Amino acid sequence: MNTLNIGGSQLDTSWFLLLSAILFVLGAVGVLVRRNPLVILISIELMLNAANLTLVTFSRQLQNLDGQLFALMSMTVAAAEAVVGLAILVDIFRTRDVEDVDELSELRG
Amino acid sequence: MAIAVFFVAAAMAVLGGIGVVTFRQPIRSVLSLVLVMLALSVLFLLLSAQFIFAVQIIVYAGAVMVLFLFVIALLGPARELGRGRLRFQTWLSALFVLVLLGLMWSLFQGAHYRQPDKTDMSFFGTVQSIAVGLFTTYLYPFELTSILLLVAAIGAIYLSRKNIDDL
Repeated sequence: MNTLNIGGSQLDTSWFLLLSAILFVLGAVGVLVRRNPLVILISIELMLNAANLTLVTFSRQLQNLDGQLFALMSMTVAAAEAVVGLAILVDIFRTRDVEDVDELSELRG
Repeated sequence: MAIAVFFVAAAMAVLGGIGVVTFRQPIRSVLSLVLVMLALSVLFLLLSAQFIFAVQIIVYAGAVMVLFLFVIALLGPARELGRGRLRFQTWLSALFVLVLLGLMWSLFQGAHYRQPDKTDMSFFGTVQSIAVGLFTTYLYPFELTSILLLVAAIGAIYLSRKNIDDL
């Protein structure tokens, strides 16, 4: 019941979901462990991609196109997020070299 | 055949994901992420999402990643320092993340999905069917997306000006 018939062969839905979970977790590790702000942005992109894979997988499992449309929306949001994030980064890097996001603590009260 | 394609693409994606996290130089992380995106696009094709496949390659692997590469080229080769003073955080985060993975795994182990809709699978995921969804049911969110992109573009231009008096 939880298998997808793709080109005559049976693929389990949970394989796709497990792969997506692994990618999401890798992205979370990147956000938590890495300290270069650029790499943190890249890891966020990885997590968004993993979420997209889940959306498309469920869209195929339920044979409902809404999941694919939502994946498109999430791609748009991810592109906007990357643009604004990188613009902020370039603005910060213009004044000084940041090798550790923990150095950016001017907003601390 | 499809199973072999799945496992090759999945292995590429996981290796790329490990590369994103472990490489010291940001440019290698970006190139690993491109590998992940290409592998994911193959999986989208397996899941009969042709349009998402094309968008993934053109917009994500093409545009967004080139943007990252441009920024890295602009900022010069930045290296990450060695481990910081909060070394235990690394292990703590690894522990938390493993718990999260186990949680997700146990969640969809015993999952029962609802009965699939009776959709004509010959048109599933084509440009035509996506367009019908975007321009009928989801017209309003689709139009809002254009405002989001406009706001992001204006914000990026505003942030990257030379000094306050420029605008």
